[in-house]
Amino acid sequence: MDNWSVRFNNIGLKRGSRVVLNGVDIQLSNAELVLMTGQNGSGKSTLLKILAGLLKPEQAYISLSPHNGQQLEHNWSRMRRVLRQRVCYLHQQPYLFHGSVFDNVAYGLKRKGLSGEQIKQQVSRMLEEFSLQDLINRDCRELSGGEKQRVAIVRSWITQPDIILLDEPFSNMDKESRRKCYTLINHLCRDNIALVLTSHDPLSGELDFTQHIHLYQGKITHKTPNIKSK
Amino acid sequence: MDDIMSASLQALNLLFSGDTQVWRIISVSFSVSLKAILIATLPAIALAFVLAYYTFPGRRLVITLFNTALAIPAVVVGLTLYLLLSRSGPFGELHLLFTQDAMVIGQIILCFPLLVAMSHASLQSSDQRAWETAITLGASPFYAAITVLKEVRFGLMAAVIAAFGRIIAEVGSSMMVGGNILNHTRNIPTAIALETSKGSFVQGIALGMVLLTMALLLNFVLTGVQGKGEVIH
Repeated sequence: MDNWSVRFNNIGLKRGSRVVLNGVDIQLSNAELVLMTGQNGSGKSTLLKILAGLLKPEQAYISLSPHNGQQLEHNWSRMRRVLRQRVCYLHQQPYLFHGSVFDNVAYGLKRKGLSGEQIKQQVSRMLEEFSLQDLINRDCRELSGGEKQRVAIVRSWITQPDIILLDEPFSNMDKESRRKCYTLINHLCRDNIALVLTSHDPLSGELDFTQHIHLYQGKITHKTPNIKSK
Repeated sequence: MDDIMSASLQALNLLFSGDTQVWRIISVSFSVSLKAILIATLPAIALAFVLAYYTFPGRRLVITLFNTALAIPAVVVGLTLYLLLSRSGPFGELHLLFTQDAMVIGQIILCFPLLVAMSHASLQSSDQRAWETAITLGASPFYAAITVLKEVRFGLMAAVIAAFGRIIAEVGSSMMVGGNILNHTRNIPTAIALETSKGSFVQGIALGMVLLTMALLLNFVLTGVQGKGEVIH
């Protein structure tokens, strides 16, 4: 498995006169599981969208190594395309496109230009791996909140990103759905993917986090690397 | 009452007897309006998308202008176009006046603002997460836009049907720039207006039946497609 790391330096964003993020530095590498905590409005979701290349910050400098065999260093605007290729972001309430679970999970693969047969095989295999095969032809509007979240995670994972960002994935989820999601997340971490989870509550026990970042009013106030050695 | 019934029966007879003149009028109507809607739809939806998803100086002014243009009467469009296309007008040399092409241009001008305004309203109420999800799953901005358009397809279809309904039934512009020439630029609304003014109602009723049937069919199609969509209860 390839090792890689990405460093986001000095991320800053203002909305009007309000400072949303101020001088945030984050480093991520493969197979990391990062917990990002902070109160509502502390800037967690905004930060994730910037990391995913979806929201333009006022300032941010990104260093990625290796990328096509070399170190890549640029500001956010020049790195946006690379971020979008390598980072996948999941909303707090994941958005599933109109159609079946198959259509949704296949979405990213279609963009990669795979043949219909290859897509069918990969989607079936992936859904089976996460015990979601019974849902394959189900209309996404009929899914429960927990099922939607798991389908969305699988849909992201199948595109093979380096980083998956999960925005409050366990909010409004019952105990059983949470347990299934923990299993899924632990599985992803074994696959060399870096995962960042946000939560306004500290999560305990179930997941082996390697970093804990706490945001308060747009600033990192607490950073604990290697909470548990993986 | 008996007169209306009798005229309606004669109108049905006229339609089913395959009267060449009536069917020529119907074909002109559909040919002109379909061309206009086909030409206008794609640029209008693209513009609506840009207005809904991008910010640029003057954006709000453009939206206001299109909303205002919804209220422009067809006859004003016809008059303006007439002045532009008449021999002494700036585009007189194109010899477009009293042709089907001029009617198409007039109908494009009429349906474009409606398409933009209704598509824009649909896109504005669409979920921002659809765009972000598409992008984060590796779609190019162009394909992400296509995905968003698919997500709001019912609203867009309603816009196209409403716009088609507006132009196929408009009289003012077609009358002024088409000239209501038999077998050439006479379409359903201009024929109805002419026949009614002559006191000959049979052809008018026959053509009115065609318009109503078309409206009914279009709405059946829309309802049929939407029927596969989400229901509230």
